[in-house]
Parts: sequence; structure tokens; C-alpha cells
Amino acid sequence: MSRPLSVMMFSWEFPPRVIGGISPHVYFLSKSLVKNGVKVYVVTCDFPGAPDHETLDGVEVYRIDSYKTPSPDFATWVYLMNMNMQTEAAKLAAKLTDKIDLFHAHDWLVATAGIGLKHVFRKPLLVTMHSTEVGRRDGVRTTAERMIAETEAWLTYEAWKVICCSHYMVSHVKWAFGLPDDKLVMVPNGVNTKVFENVREKDGEFRARFALPEEKLVLFVGRLVYEKGAHVLVNAIPKIIDKVNAKFVFVGSGYMKDQLSTIVRSMGLEHKVLFTGFVDEETLIRLQSCADVSVVPSLFEPFGIVALEAMAARSAVVVSDTGGLGEIVDHDVTGVKVYPNNPESLAWGITKVLTDERYRNSLRDNAYKRIQENYDWDKIAQKTKQIYEGVLGEYSKSFWA
Amino acid sequence: MRVILFSWEYPPRIVGKLAEYTSALATQLVNNDVETYVVTYHSYLTGMSVEANGAKTFRVANPVRTHIGVLTWVLTLNQEIERATATIYYQVNKQVDLIDAYDWHFIPAAVTLKNALGIPFVYSVDSLEDHRAHGADAPFNMAIKSIEWLGFYEADRISVKSEWMRDEIVRIHKVPREKIRVISSSGNSPIKEVLQLYKIVVAGGKAK
Repeated sequence: MSRPLSVMMFSWEFPPRVIGGISPHVYFLSKSLVKNGVKVYVVTCDFPGAPDHETLDGVEVYRIDSYKTPSPDFATWVYLMNMNMQTEAAKLAAKLTDKIDLFHAHDWLVATAGIGLKHVFRKPLLVTMHSTEVGRRDGVRTTAERMIAETEAWLTYEAWKVICCSHYMVSHVKWAFGLPDDKLVMVPNGVNTKVFENVREKDGEFRARFALPEEKLVLFVGRLVYEKGAHVLVNAIPKIIDKVNAKFVFVGSGYMKDQLSTIVRSMGLEHKVLFTGFVDEETLIRLQSCADVSVVPSLFEPFGIVALEAMAARSAVVVSDTGGLGEIVDHDVTGVKVYPNNPESLAWGITKVLTDERYRNSLRDNAYKRIQENYDWDKIAQKTKQIYEGVLGEYSKSFWA
Repeated sequence: MRVILFSWEYPPRIVGKLAEYTSALATQLVNNDVETYVVTYHSYLTGMSVEANGAKTFRVANPVRTHIGVLTWVLTLNQEIERATATIYYQVNKQVDLIDAYDWHFIPAAVTLKNALGIPFVYSVDSLEDHRAHGADAPFNMAIKSIEWLGFYEADRISVKSEWMRDEIVRIHKVPREKIRVISSSGNSPIKEVLQLYKIVVAGGKAK
């Protein structure tokens, strides 16, 4: 192919609009694809102050008026937003001199925009399934949930390839929608190691805001909700401080915050635990860089990006062996895996890391190396480009070509 | 001339008057040597077929069966309308002269097809949400009015059945009067006026 491969991505969030993990994912994926010689157009929702069109690190970003049409509820808003997104994307794709080769949708939130354009332009559609309704809700019960789950099933049916970020998600999506194996492909999520490079690792003054110099710093980052398992860590604290002097810092907020503080108070451990609430990105990065151990005790986790970020920050990690987390960490090599929902097992893992400095350092070094090998955005973009090229190869033999 | 009619009801699925009207129109178009396709909805009689009147139909079902309301039902169905129309378009070597879309339901598809493939469209209006909902302005009604407005804005021409409806569209949606053509179904020969309208759109459609 003489001209570069050209892809149009649909995402309901893109920086500066950040709601969840899809926004940074699409941002890093698209700019890394550009570096690998792919022409990328991102069509996304608007954000106050962000321009309708800009070229960001080589990515052509188009923002549509997503609140143009009044909507009675969130799900209806999604489909109406898709109607407006499809109209704008159709105008854009039709006027481009270099035709779009592929459409790539991220989650059901842009399903109908992508499906319609696939048929109208007769170009392949790919989808990355970041999550599922049945996974988010632990089952589908209401009419709205069923409608969303059926829209997800339709999107995966229409897609030429379904990309998932972990082996766990591959099997989950396969089960949820009954997809054939050859339609599913695993491309891990990436982590941007650069943001951690300029952070002074042992900034005493900054660290002193959270822990005493003689205390080890144990860090939890996540929403304080049941599936993230902060309560498992709280229950493990007495067993850990029996053996090692440590401070436990919980970053994030959620509906379990009051309940967790009450448990901490009733155990008389207020001086050992700090709930910071939601912190800005810079503080978070510095905290991750000075933590002696980062703990991810989740009960359910499709991917577990927070473990990757901790590893990129050169912090040792202790994770529960569940979902995508179990795949990120290689036990005794890049971190410690413990039984999920088990405070004794978690206390054992954390104590082991905190009391053995040589072990801790080897975990950190191995993890950092592993991150650069497997979770580097540049490599993820190369793998994604290979998937694009494979699909275009199939396409060239189809009657659509 | 090759024309595709969009209607959310068409025999054997009859909800109101529109099914009979579009069916009669399709028959007359065929009799006037217009190659006529009808893209419509049916819950299970899906796919392409040739009707007794000579029109070709392409019926689609909704891939999403569970819905919280008529809006989500309509909006998901539109992708199948696009698929059906694109299938016809590519089968006939992209030679589709125009789409005639009846009422608001498939306006999103008509708008995308116009912008993506350059097929001009006529928006044929039977009724307006303002009249159906007696001025209700809940988000649900406003969403439908927005889709109607999108249709008026993007359509090459609008067709109505009475002077009164033309005045109402001008008043409510601020559409230029000359964009709207009155074709009275009680007139002498409405099919001649329909064909005349189609010719105007085909002549100016792609140049626009």
C-alpha cells in the first residue's frame, strides 16, 4: 500500500474529556499508531474549551456537539449522541481525499455510529471491548441493562475483530456474547512510563506529608467500592503491623469510605491509616513513586491498570490473583500474588515484601523491565496495526473490496 | 429513475394510514417506469423480495430486542435501514437517484446516506411532533422535534399534503417556504406532482 493505512476511531471520551479509562487508552493508542505510520482520525464528544478540530501529536481529533439533542435519560442520550456523531463522521469521511480504510469503535457507547458507517462505506469495523454490562452489573436485570447488553452483542457481531485488553476479558467476552475464538484478539492495555521518569523517587519532604521516616509506606489506589477490596487491606493491617512498622495510605473515594474509617477507628489504628480522597495526577504519581509497596486487593478486575502504573513507578506490587491482575503479575518475579478476599494471605504478601529489601528490589526491577517489554504503547500500537493489516487482507478478498 | 422509499410501516405491517399510502405510491411509481424500492421494518419477514405491484422491498428487523422506549427502538433500527439501503446502492452500481423518507423515524439514516454517499432525499411529512404531542416539551418530545428539524435542515426538498402543514413547518421549524412543496392527495393526479418533485431534486440534488 503506497499511502498510509487510515483509521477512524470513535470514542465517547478523549482528553481533555476524561470520564474513565477509555479516554487515556484512545489517546495513547492513537498517538502511538501515528508514530507507526497510521493515519488516525478520532471522532469524539465535545468538552468546554476544547476545539472542534485539532491535530494532537499527529492525531486528527474531531469533537462533535454531543448535547445537541435533548434526551430523557442516559441510554437514550447515548443513541442520540451516536446519531449526531454518525452524521458528522459521514460528512468527514466523505470529504477526505485519503479514504478511510477501517472504523474502530471503543465500547457500546459508540456502537450505532460505527455499525451504520461500516455498512454505508463498506469498510471493516473493529471494536475494543473495555468492559461489559453483565460484568459491570454482575448480571443484567433491568430493561435498560438488557438493552445495553444486546447492543454490545450486536456490536461484537458486526465487528470483524473484537479486541480485549486481557486474557481474562477475552474469555469473559467470549462467554458473554458467544463469539468464536478466531474473532477475539488480546492486546494489553499500555502504561505511559515517561510520566514517572522525572519524579524524584525518595523525595523526603513530600513523603513526610504521608508517613514518618521510619514507617514503610503501603499504598492503595482505587475507588473505595466493594469490588476494589479496600476492606480486605484494612482487615490485614493488624497482622502486618505486628511484624513491620508501616503507614497505610488509601487514595480514592467511594461509597465505602465512611464504613472503612469506622473499622479503622474501632481497631484503634487511626495513626496508621490515611484516607486522602481523590488526588491530582501529579500527587498520585509522586505517591506511587515513593511507596514501598502498592497493593491491589481487588475482588473483580477486568484489567488492573493501577498495578501497571505502580510497576512503572518502580514500586513493588502485591495483588490479588483475580481477572486481569493475575496475568499482569508473575508471582515471585514481578510481584506477589495472594488469594483474593483473604486478609491473612494479603498480610503475608505485604509483610514478605516489606521485610526483605533484596526481594523487594528484585521484584521492582523485574517488573519495570516487564512493563517496558509488554505494556509499552509503541509495541501495543504495532500489534494493533498488525491486526488492522490482517483485517484489510481478509477484506481485500471479500466482495466488499 | 431509481427511487428508495423509507417508511416505518408498509403492508403487511399496518399501523396507521401510512402503510396504504406508501404502498399505493409505490404501485404508481412502478406504473410510471420508476424503479422503486421500499425499505421498511418487519419483526420477522426480513430480506429482499419483489411485491405483486412490482416494487422491490427490503425489510429489516431490529437487532436489539429490548428497549426502554420508542426513541432507542428507532435509533437502533436506523443502522439496519442504512445497511439495507447501502446493500441496494452497491448492487445497482451506486445509481440511486433519491430517497423519499416518510416521517421522522428514518431521518437519521437518510441524513447519513446523503452525507456519505451523496444520495439526495425528500422528507415527506404526514404529521409533526408538535401536533401529535400537543405542544409537550419534555426531553422525549424535544428529541423527536430535533430529529424532525434535522430532516428539514438536511433534506433537499420537503413534501407535505396541505397548505396548512406547509405554514406550520415554516412557523415551527423556520424552514424556507420554497423548500416545501404541497402535493394534495385529493388532487387530480398527485403522482404527476410527485414525479415532478423527484425530477427537481434529481436535477439539483448532487450539485448542491
